[in-house]
Amino acid sequence: MKLRIILIVLSLLAFLSASTGGYLYYSSLKESALKEAERQADQRLRTIKKNLSIFLAENVKPVKTLAGMQTLRLALAQSNAENLAAANATLDHFKKTLASDECYLMDPDGNTIASTNRDAPDSFVGQNFAFRPYFKDAISGYPGTYLALGTTSGKRGAYYSHPVYAENRYAPVGIVVIKASIELIESQLGAELDEIVLVNDPNGVIFISNRKEWLYHLLWRYNQNNIPLIKQSLQFGTGPWNWTGLESRDDHILDRDGNAYQIQVVELGSNYPGWNVVHLRRLDAITQAVIEPLIKTTGPIVLALCVLIGIAVFFLYRQASHEIRQRRSAEKALRSNEERFRSLYHHTPAMLHSIDPQGRLVSVSAYWAEVMGYGRNEIIGRKLTDFFTPDSREYAETTVIPEFFKTGFCQDIPYQFIKKNGEKIDVLLSAIADRDTKGNIVRSLAVSIDVTQRNRAEEALKQAKEELGLYSRDLERLVRKQTEEITNILTYTPAVVYTKDKAGRYTLVNTRYEELFEVRNTEIRGRTDYDILPQKVAGQFRASDAQVLEEARSLQLEEHIQQSDGLHTYLAVKFPIYDESGAISGVCGILNDITAVKKAQTQLRRLSGSIMANQEKERSAIARELHDELGQVLTALRMDSVWMHERLKKADPEAAERALTMCRLIDKNIEDVRGMAFRLRPGVLDDLGLVDALEWYTADFEKRTEIACVFEHNDVSSLDDGISTAAYRIAQEALTNIARHASASHVEVALKTRNGFLTLTVVDDGLGFDALHLTDSEGLGVAGMRERAALVGGSLDVQSQPRKGTRVSFKVPLDGQPGS
Amino acid sequence: MIKVLLADDHSIVRAGLRRIVEESGDMQVVAEADDGREAIQLVEKENPDVAVIDISMPGLDGLEVISQLQIRHPDLPILVLTMHEEGQYVVRAVQAGAMGYLTKQSAPEQLVTAIRKIHEGQRYITEEAAESLALRVAKGSDGKSPLDSLSMRELQVLRRLAMGQTNREIARAYHISIKTVDTYRARLLKKLGLRNNAELSRFAMQNQLIEP
Repeated sequence: MKLRIILIVLSLLAFLSASTGGYLYYSSLKESALKEAERQADQRLRTIKKNLSIFLAENVKPVKTLAGMQTLRLALAQSNAENLAAANATLDHFKKTLASDECYLMDPDGNTIASTNRDAPDSFVGQNFAFRPYFKDAISGYPGTYLALGTTSGKRGAYYSHPVYAENRYAPVGIVVIKASIELIESQLGAELDEIVLVNDPNGVIFISNRKEWLYHLLWRYNQNNIPLIKQSLQFGTGPWNWTGLESRDDHILDRDGNAYQIQVVELGSNYPGWNVVHLRRLDAITQAVIEPLIKTTGPIVLALCVLIGIAVFFLYRQASHEIRQRRSAEKALRSNEERFRSLYHHTPAMLHSIDPQGRLVSVSAYWAEVMGYGRNEIIGRKLTDFFTPDSREYAETTVIPEFFKTGFCQDIPYQFIKKNGEKIDVLLSAIADRDTKGNIVRSLAVSIDVTQRNRAEEALKQAKEELGLYSRDLERLVRKQTEEITNILTYTPAVVYTKDKAGRYTLVNTRYEELFEVRNTEIRGRTDYDILPQKVAGQFRASDAQVLEEARSLQLEEHIQQSDGLHTYLAVKFPIYDESGAISGVCGILNDITAVKKAQTQLRRLSGSIMANQEKERSAIARELHDELGQVLTALRMDSVWMHERLKKADPEAAERALTMCRLIDKNIEDVRGMAFRLRPGVLDDLGLVDALEWYTADFEKRTEIACVFEHNDVSSLDDGISTAAYRIAQEALTNIARHASASHVEVALKTRNGFLTLTVVDDGLGFDALHLTDSEGLGVAGMRERAALVGGSLDVQSQPRKGTRVSFKVPLDGQPGS
Repeated sequence: MIKVLLADDHSIVRAGLRRIVEESGDMQVVAEADDGREAIQLVEKENPDVAVIDISMPGLDGLEVISQLQIRHPDLPILVLTMHEEGQYVVRAVQAGAMGYLTKQSAPEQLVTAIRKIHEGQRYITEEAAESLALRVAKGSDGKSPLDSLSMRELQVLRRLAMGQTNREIARAYHISIKTVDTYRARLLKKLGLRNNAELSRFAMQNQLIEP
């Protein structure tokens, strides 16, 4: 806190000295400025006075010259029109040359007889100016000068008069006057804005000034008695001659508004006794002239200085505050640390104690006393070794304690303490020495860890380990047994079994595998199919393995492997195997030789094919027999019966009727025979080909079922008999199914050849079915179609969804070239 | 006298036919052939006015016989006589060059008329066969006709409707119910994008299903 006050006081002092210095500097500057101003004003006043004097003396000589002009004398001597005109011309010439206000001529009585303004409304001609001092002077024989406000013209002027003499006469015959304008000289005073220049008469009336409102005012407060005198002289018009309000103070002047002025006064000159030229300058303008540059230059410096001081004070103040805070918190922390340490010592759940160099206990922690079961006063002052077992005591006194007081350090010394109740506890004691300033050990600080429990636990752990050893031996035995069983299975199974890792490297193969590919299990581990199998087989294996790994599901497929006794077909089941984390670690394959089954299947197919072919052949033969032979005979019979009917019509109507009945019977028989033959095998198929047969069949189907049936085909010609038959029978079966089950209203049959394939599609818009839930008869029908398709090397596809119709398509390569 | 050649592999049928032909009074069977080859030889030899030929014969196929005769004797009218009723045979026969077509079953009643007709240079085919022919010709084989989307029965109904037959008449002709004919009609209109029978008629004419 003190530091802060000191800082504040110091900063205040700095401010004070800075401002005092500034003020002193300022006032000295001001004083010198005032002096300088005074000097300047003095000089200026002199200049003005000089100018005025020059101006006032300007017309003294010309007026003398004018007075000597002959024309004027003549005009005064004889005032006829001719002389006056000549005088006027002279006056005009002088006015023009001198650039004066007016020039005029007066007779000895003061009447103006000639003037340059003779034609103006305020013409002087005829006016009497005898009251003017300049007249009095001139008529008395002295040239006169006079400053006054014109009584006729109302214009201020400097009047220059001179007596005019006639030849040989000593008294003047008149006077001549040149009036010069005051305005001109007044404007040439050229006063500055902050100064006032004025000229006043002995009475204090201001006659010339650059401050117009002050003209004809009284400069100072004057005695009122002077006013009538001024009025009487007619020198400054009719008044009133008010006071300007200026008052004198010690060394300056005050105006009405309280503005202070510096004043300089000089006399105008000997020609104008009592006239003064006065120069006034406002004090604050002078001061301003000093302060302004001072502020402009010194101001920023002072400001910057103040800011710098401020920043410095702020920074120092902060620094000081921070340090004070830090010191205070450090002190606080230290204090609390001590307290904590004390409390820690006493309340920590550890056995802490200190002994002096004599081995006596000087302090113990509460926990120490608690564990040992003693009160604190039973402990302090006693020897530490009193609480030891005899073994420990001997070890301590002979070895550990002397060593400790030498090194000042001991660690994990195993002791046994005896509690008050006689129980023994195992401890590990560690201690460090507390030294005085000279480095002598004054006491120890020791901690004892109760390891009784730990020792017991270690014992138990050892026992558990032994038990575990026994158990794991059992487990190993069990594993060995199971491994043996699995190995047996793998060895004796007729299936080929292998496992591979994800990279396709073998991890295990069974005995059958070894036999088949003539490799040893030990050789094959870590190697891939490409290392041990023919390239073709390896590629085939690898592809299906990869599929299993990629799709993460089991796969069933047929693998063909060339063996010494020919090509064998294997039914392979491949499935992914997983590691403990559930990730796929590899693939396992189990392959069963199904060559024999496959062979049987092929034979069966061949057999069923030949049965079907024979069936067709026989049907064809029977159909032809029925149609051609029996049909022809019946036709012939019919002809006969018709003939008989014709013959007997007249002779024996009854017999004729019988013949007709016979004819009808024969007709029916013919229909039956034709129907039978057709059902067995349509002659159209053999005679005209598949297209005509299907065309007829679909038309007939439509006729029978009233289901619209559209048959479409492109140029299908010269088909193999087997394919024709298969296609016809498939179409027949499909349409029969539609008529029976589909409730369709529209069927499209299409027969197309394209790219060497014949396709037959039968599409209906009926109920459809779930392909998984076919009835037996339906299933059989589909199976029959499939069989027929397979027999000619084609394939059959049935697509259907409930209420979305059915599509049966049969596709077969022509000329027995699949894929061409 | 019209000189007739009979070609049929069944002698018993031939006998029946000969009898029917000769009983007409103005016709005479000048030759009988057992098979196609013989038929061609006999035509060369006997120069008949009309040939009556069975399609199904051993040796040379009936249709082939017609084609060959057409080439050698383009003026000889040929009547096909067969056991087959299927329209497809008619079409093939006519395409091969036959002038007439008759089932053996209807021979007693129609054979004489048929021979006379084709001898006069007219065609003789059953109405159904004629229709089938017309439809096939109209449909063409390039697969681009608007008629391709129609079934055979729909085409038949279309043709008859276009000719101005009533539903009842059509039903009777095809042995189907009037309601079914109506169904066909509705389906036709929808498939062809037409509105009424007048438009159907115009459509049929444009597609040469009927003569204007």
